This record gives sequence, C-alpha cells and structure tokens, in this order.
Amino acid sequence: MIQFLHVGKSFPGGRSALQDVSFQLERGEFAFLSGASGAGKTTLLKLIYREIEPTSGQILVNGRNVASIPRTKVPFLRRTIGVVFQNFRLISRKTVLENVSYLPRILGMSQQERKRLAYNTLRRVGLAHRMSAFPTELSGGEQQRVTIARALINRPEILIADEPTGNLDPELSWEILRLFLEINGKGTTVLLATHEHQYVRALGGRSLVLERGRLVVDEHVEGHVGDIESKPAEEAEDPIQPSTGDLM
Amino acid sequence: MLARILGYFFSEAAVSLRRSWKVSLVAIVIIAMSLFIGGTFLLLTSNLTRVVENWRGDARIVVYLTADKVAREDSQVLQLASEPPWVTAVEEISATEARSRFEATFPSVRELFKDWKEEPLPPSLEIAFEAEGADDGQLDEWLVSLRAHPSVVMVDDDRDWLRQLEALIAILTGLGAVIGLVLLTAAIFTIASVIRLTAYLYRDEIEVMRLVGATELYIRGPFYVEGVVQGLLGGLLAIAALYGGYVVLNPKASTTFLGNVLVDRFLSPEALVFLLVIGSVAGLLGAVLSLRREELGQ
Repeated sequence: MIQFLHVGKSFPGGRSALQDVSFQLERGEFAFLSGASGAGKTTLLKLIYREIEPTSGQILVNGRNVASIPRTKVPFLRRTIGVVFQNFRLISRKTVLENVSYLPRILGMSQQERKRLAYNTLRRVGLAHRMSAFPTELSGGEQQRVTIARALINRPEILIADEPTGNLDPELSWEILRLFLEINGKGTTVLLATHEHQYVRALGGRSLVLERGRLVVDEHVEGHVGDIESKPAEEAEDPIQPSTGDLM
Repeated sequence: MLARILGYFFSEAAVSLRRSWKVSLVAIVIIAMSLFIGGTFLLLTSNLTRVVENWRGDARIVVYLTADKVAREDSQVLQLASEPPWVTAVEEISATEARSRFEATFPSVRELFKDWKEEPLPPSLEIAFEAEGADDGQLDEWLVSLRAHPSVVMVDDDRDWLRQLEALIAILTGLGAVIGLVLLTAAIFTIASVIRLTAYLYRDEIEVMRLVGATELYIRGPFYVEGVVQGLLGGLLAIAALYGGYVVLNPKASTTFLGNVLVDRFLSPEALVFLLVIGSVAGLLGAVLSLRREELGQ
C-alpha cells in the first residue's frame, strides 16, 4: 500500500531530513512512526501525500510513484489519503459540518448527500451533535475529532496522522488513539506519527522509529493492554462520548 | 454539476467580498472611475460620429462661378459637374438667389448689401453626390478639372471640414482610449492587490483546501469570480454615473448646438455591454495576475 525505497530528502541549504529510508506498509496495517522532534516524521508523512517531493529514492502509494504524478493530478492522490494534522488545520469561518463536508462539496455532491455523509462520519467520531458549531467553540479533543472526520469522509484507504495527540491532554489522547484503532479495525491503513513512545508500547503494532532522518527500527511491538486499562474507566468504555462541554 | 461548481464559486466570492468589503469597494470605485472616463469619451465620440454620418449624407460640393457667367449659360461647366456617375443632383444657384439665401440665413446683417449695385455673391452650382459611389482619387481628379475651368472661381468641398471633424473624432477616440487604458491598467492592478490581499487572508484555508484534495480550479475559481464581480459592479457604477451625467446635462445641452451634438443620445445597448465586458475582463485579469502560482504558495 505504501512503499518507501531508499528515500532521501534534503532541504535547500543542504540540511538532510531523511536518508535512505525504506519500508513497506501493507493494506489494513496499523503503524506508529515515532522518533524525537526533528527526526523527520513530518517530512516522511508529507512525502506520502506529495506536499513535498523526495530528493532521492521512490515512494509508491497503491503502486503509483508519487513523485511522478503530474502536479494537476496530485489532488486526486490526496483524495485517497486522509490526513490528520497536529494543529487541526480547520477553517475557522466554517462550521463543523462545512469543514467536514468540504471534500464531498468539491466532488460535486448535492447538499443533502453531503449533509448525510458528514452526519454519519461525525457520528462515527462522536460529534454529530456539534455539526453547526464553529471550530473555535470546540475543545481541543473535539477539534481533533472533527479533523479525523474530515480525513475519513471520503473513505480513504490510508489515514495519516501527524502527532494527533500533540496538543491534547493525556486523557483525550487515549480517546483519539482508540478512535484510530477503531478506524483501522474497519480496514483503513493507519500511519500515526508520534514522539510519545508510550502509545506504541501500550497499543502495539508496527513500529517505525526515525532517528536523525534514518529509519533505525522497523519491528512489530506487542501491546500492553494493561497500559490502556490503567486509564480512567470512563475513558476506556467509550472513547467517543461527548465531552463535558457538549453536555453543558 | 457545473451549476453546483458555479454556485460554490459565487457563494465563496460573496463571502470574500463581504469579508473584505472596504478594499473591494476601493477596487470597484477605481474601475468605475476608469470606465466612467472611457465611457464619457465613448459617449461624446459616438454622438459626434453619428452627427458626422448625418452630415456626410448632406455633404455638397459648391462650385462658385465667375460673376459674369450664369450657370445655365455655361453648359460646359454644367456638363462637367453632372458627368460623374456618383453625382446625384446639380442645383444652379444664381447670384440673386445666393443673396436671398444669405439674407434669410443671417437676417441681422441683411442691411449690409442694401446699397450694392452689383450682386455681392457669385452664382454657383451645388453638387450632391454619393460619397460611397466614388473613390477619393476619382473625386479629387474631377475636382481638379472643375477648378481648372476658366468659369470657376472656387470649389468648396464639404468633405474637407468633415475630414477635419473626423480627425477630431479620431483624436478624441484615441485620447479616450489612452486615458481609459491607463486608468483601466491602474484598476487591474488595484483589483490584483485586493485579491492578493484576500488570498493572503485565506492562505491557511487555501493550504487546507489543497491538502484535502481541492484542485487549483476549485481554489482559484472563487477568486476569479470575485474579480469578475468587482469589475462588473465597477462597470454598473460607471454606467449609472454616466447616465446620471447625461440626464443632468442633456436638457441643458440640447439648447446649444454643441450640447446637441455631444450629448444628444445616451450610449447604445451594445456600448453599455461593451463597458460591462471591459470591466469584467479587467477584474478577471486582476484576479489572474494576483493568483499566479508563486502568489498562492504552490
């Protein structure tokens, strides 16, 4: 599904962000991409959805060489990849519904179709009741869930998340992680970048570790369920229950 | 599908215009000013052209004869005057008739010739002709032969002053085009700046749109529509101002010859559409200029 073949990326000025990175992610796999800040996680993710291009090597997504896709066709690649950003990147002047249904809108769906699809997707992340709110009226966890809903709305085959818990407190972070597991359980390939290795140990799965731009670890890690169960009981029961703010 | 896309472009453009209405208003006013000035020249020259066209139909060649010759007695001149196929009529004006006409046209100075024993004005031939029927070379040749005739004192060709009037129209048209073009260029750059500013305000949104899979057409479309709408509104404002000026000036102007000539009729529907099209194209150009690839952070 995603294949990196000796990928390198240098930025102007000669700074090397990635060096000779090779790995392959299979369909339906869940992988953590971890490493310290500046290790090259965001650069690697940006290469997948062609926000930047590699300096060397090849990146294949669904068998297509991403770097050789013409600029005008890049949007069509991006429509098959859901991206969750650390800083949410929601459009503040648009409601939750408008943010989530942006892609269906540009795909030419009718307003009714868009609303139905957005409602179903928002229900999946537990935010169907906040459709008409603006991003600024939402908590950090809610905003992140809206971002996830936006990434999921076109039923992407791949979901990429860049530090999705970076701006959240630990409780909300677990909630979001459980949501990713649930999404993965339905067949979506998930690549989640985090600098917090505790999540990898707790949830288990494929672990890719970057260090100064090099892939130094590529292994399967057994999860320690106890780490999740040690979280507050109400969190563990329903990861997508409404927040206190919603109930108020 | 197309209706939905256009609907999206227009709704986003409306939001953007509302969001930055002050700078948009500046762009609209500047484009209106340039179109108003261009439109004023268009109004003047179109009226002047129409008048010249009418006068051209009435254009005559007047052949003044020596005082001792009466036209009808000089069959040779008459034959020369009537010969060409483009001549439609030749009217003989005797010296007496010329004097009567003069007195009728200028009654205040009719006393001037009271004590004159001889007729003060020469007899003449007034030649009507179809300008389209003759080429200029043939006409000029014919006029030379008329002027060379011993019975002819002078040949007065109305086309001479019509040519001068046409030259004036050409100067006015050129001047209007130059001033309009300069102002329109300024308007295009103003619109470009306004849209660049709007795009800057939306830069985060544009980045998000691009990352979720919006094509460039979707990202740029609303800005293009915004430019066209600004140009169109500028055009409408210019037309309203032109019409206002016309309504105010026309009743007063029509009492004078010059006013009657210059602001007799308002612009034709085609000219109005032309102004709107120019405004829209200027707006679109401004948007295209402002959204070059590097401007949108691609």
